[in-house]
Amino acid sequence: MKEPLPMPILSDTMAIGRILRWHKQAGDSVKANEVVAEVETDKAIMDVEATRAGFLAGPLAPTDTDIAVRTPIAFISDTRDEAVDEVPIAAAPQQEAPQSKARPTSEMPAEISRTGSKKVDVSGPKPERAAAPPAPHTGGRYSPYARALAADLGLNLEQVPAGVDGTVRSIEVVAAALGPLPADLTAGPPYAICPQPLMREAVARNMTAAWRTPVFHMQARLTLGPLRQLHEATGYAFTVLLARACARAIADHPLFNATYTRSGLAQRDRVDIGIALDLGESLIAPVLRDVGGRPLPALTTDWQRLEAQAKRHRLSLSEYTGATFYLSNLGSSRVVEGFDAILPLGATAILAAAAPATDERALFNLTCDHRVVFGADAARWFASFELHLSQPESWAQDAIGDVPAPPQTTSSAPHE
Amino acid sequence: MVQELLYWQALNRALDQEMAANDAVLVLGEDVGLYGGTYRVTEGLYAKYGEWRVRDTPISENSYTGLGIGAAMAGGRPVVEIMTVNFLPLAMDAVVNLAAKIMLMSARQFRIPIVIRMPGGIAKQLGAQHSQRLETMLMNVPGLRIAVPATPQDAYWQLRQAINLDDPVIVLEHEVLYFTRGPVDDALEPPPLDAAVIRRKGADVTLIAYSRMVLLAIEAADTLQAEGINAEVIDLRSLKPIDWETCTASIQNTHRAVIIEEDCRFAGAGAEIAATLTEACFFYLDSPIERIAGLDLPTPFNAELEASAIPTTAQIVETVHRVTSTVVPA
Repeated sequence: MKEPLPMPILSDTMAIGRILRWHKQAGDSVKANEVVAEVETDKAIMDVEATRAGFLAGPLAPTDTDIAVRTPIAFISDTRDEAVDEVPIAAAPQQEAPQSKARPTSEMPAEISRTGSKKVDVSGPKPERAAAPPAPHTGGRYSPYARALAADLGLNLEQVPAGVDGTVRSIEVVAAALGPLPADLTAGPPYAICPQPLMREAVARNMTAAWRTPVFHMQARLTLGPLRQLHEATGYAFTVLLARACARAIADHPLFNATYTRSGLAQRDRVDIGIALDLGESLIAPVLRDVGGRPLPALTTDWQRLEAQAKRHRLSLSEYTGATFYLSNLGSSRVVEGFDAILPLGATAILAAAAPATDERALFNLTCDHRVVFGADAARWFASFELHLSQPESWAQDAIGDVPAPPQTTSSAPHE
Repeated sequence: MVQELLYWQALNRALDQEMAANDAVLVLGEDVGLYGGTYRVTEGLYAKYGEWRVRDTPISENSYTGLGIGAAMAGGRPVVEIMTVNFLPLAMDAVVNLAAKIMLMSARQFRIPIVIRMPGGIAKQLGAQHSQRLETMLMNVPGLRIAVPATPQDAYWQLRQAINLDDPVIVLEHEVLYFTRGPVDDALEPPPLDAAVIRRKGADVTLIAYSRMVLLAIEAADTLQAEGINAEVIDLRSLKPIDWETCTASIQNTHRAVIIEEDCRFAGAGAEIAATLTEACFFYLDSPIERIAGLDLPTPFNAELEASAIPTTAQIVETVHRVTSTVVPA
C-alpha cells in the first residue's frame, strides 16, 4: 500500500515550501523519521522526515518549485515493487476536471485502484509521470468573495497577488488592502520580475505587518570604550556584551520587557533578546535566552552556536521567535554614523547601534512601541543603559563569578 | 430523564409514548406486530396496545400505505412502516398522489396526519436492491416533509413531532444507525422538526451532512482540528424543508462549504443544496461549494467495492484540504 508523504508545515506561517534536494530516491528503503529531503521554507531550511518505515515511492515532486503545504511530494510504500511502480494513485488531492462525458467509466477505475488490490501490469512501457503532485499555477482566478470584497474596498484585483495555487481569495484581498499599495510599473524602463528566496519574502511580509505598530524614536550618543576594553580583556563576543548591558537596563525598567496585547501588557519574567544577523541574501534575528541571568561564557557559546546555525539556515522556530527586545548592531560599518530599525511584531523596543567614532562614542537609536513605553520611559532606559555601558565591570564581575566553580572549592564564604 | 439508548430504542420509546398519550395513534406495516419490526422499532407494542392498533399487513406496500392515508382522513394518526426504502417505489402512488395531494385538492377538508417511516442506506453487503437511499425521489414531491435523524435523541424527538403534525411526514432512518447509541433526554425541549443544528463550531469550512454522513463529518472535523483546520459541522435533520438560514449564516462566516451525502451524486440532495446555497451565498464564497457523494451506480455486492462506492472520512478530509488551500493553520 502507498501512503502519500505531504509537504509538511514546518513553521507557523508556512504556506508553501521548495524542495532543495532529495536525500533518497524512489525505491530506497526508509526508516520512520529518517530524513528524505531538504525543504526551504519562509524561515529556514528544514528536513522532511519519513512518516513511517517503508520504501520511498514516486513520483517525487520536483526541486526548486513552490509546493503548497499538505500537497503530496512523494509516497511511502510497503514493498520495493510498489515503490518503483510509478503508476499514480488516487490520493493526490487534485481539482476534478469538469465532467462533460463518460463520468462513470472515468471514475470507477480510480475508485477501485484506491483499494490497492488491483495489480498493474508493468511489463509494457512505463507510464509518464502522469500525476506530478504540485498544484499548477493557473493565473487569473478570483473567488466570488474576493471580487465582492475588492469592489467594496476599491481595489484593482489585477494588482492583488494570488495565493499559492494561483487563485485570489478573500484572504489575499484583505492582505492587499491592509498592505502598502503596489508600485505602478507601467511607466519607466522595462523590467523583469525575479522571484525572491522565501526568507526574503518573509522579511518583506513581517516588516509590512510591523509597520502598523505606533512607534517613536530616540537617539543617544554613548561611549563604548569600557565595553571594548572588557571585550578585549575577556574575549566575550562584543554583541553578547552589548546585549547584556541592554538586559541590565531592561531589568531596571521592566516595561521594556512587556508586549502589548488587547487584554493588557504581557510582562515577561526573563529577558530574551533578539539579535539581527546579516545573512547576505536574507536577514534573521536569533533569540538569545535569559541574557540578564546566564553567565557570559554560556551566552557567548550559545550565541556562536546560533550564529553558525543561522548561517546554514538551520534555525528552528523556537530559536528566532519570542523576544521582547531586539538589538541591531551595525558596528562593523565604520562609515555609518547612525540608523533606524523597524520594530518587529511582538517586541517593545529595538536598539540600533552604529559604529563608534574616534572618541569611542556611538550613536544609538531606540525605536519603541508607544503603546507600551513613553518618551520619558525611553529617556530613563537610556540613562540606565549609559550607566551599565560605562561600568561594565560592575555586571561583568557578577557574570565572571558565575563561571562554573573549580571542583576543589568547598568553602562557601568568598574572600574579598 | 436522560438515558443511553440505541437509535431503534429511541424510536420505540417515541412510538410507545405517543400511543399511550393518544388513542388515535396506530402502527401499520409488515411484521410490525407479532415479530416486533425488522429492526425491533415496534418491539413490545403489539403486546401492549393490541392487534387493533398495531396491525400486521400483507406484503402490499401501496395498499397498506393507502390504508394509512384513509385512516388519517378518518381521524386516525397512523405510523406506517415500510420495511426498507427499497420497497418505497411500490407505495409511490399512495405517497405521491394521495398523501401529498389530498389536503390541498380537498380545499383543506381533510388533513393527512400520517407518518411513513423506513430505513435506507448502505448496510453491509445486502446487494444493489437493498442498499438504496432514494431520498431525492421524495424531495421532489411538494406536500411532503422529510426528516433524517442522525442521533437517537433526534430519532426520538423527530418521530414524536412527526406524529403530532397534521401533515404527511416521511421519516428516513438508516440501517447502520439503528445500533448506534446516544443519550436521549425526554425532558429536553426539542428544536423544530425541520431545524438544522450545528454539531460543531468552526470558522474555516462548513460541512453539511445528514443522517449517517453526519457521523463521518464529525470524525473528519476531529482529524482536521488536529491539523489546525476548524470545520463547522451542520446536521440538516430535515431534507424537506431545508433550514437554509443555518447554512447561509455559517457560509457567510466560513466562505467555504462541502456537502456530504451517501446517495448518488447525480441529481442528488447535494445538488439541490449546492445550487440553492450558491445562489444565496455567491458573493461570500472563496471556493466552489463541493459535493462528496456516492458513486452513480447500483451498489456493488463485493465488500471492498461497496465501501468505496460511498463517501469516507478520508475523502472529506482530502476535499477540505483542497477547499481550504489558503487557510494558514492556527
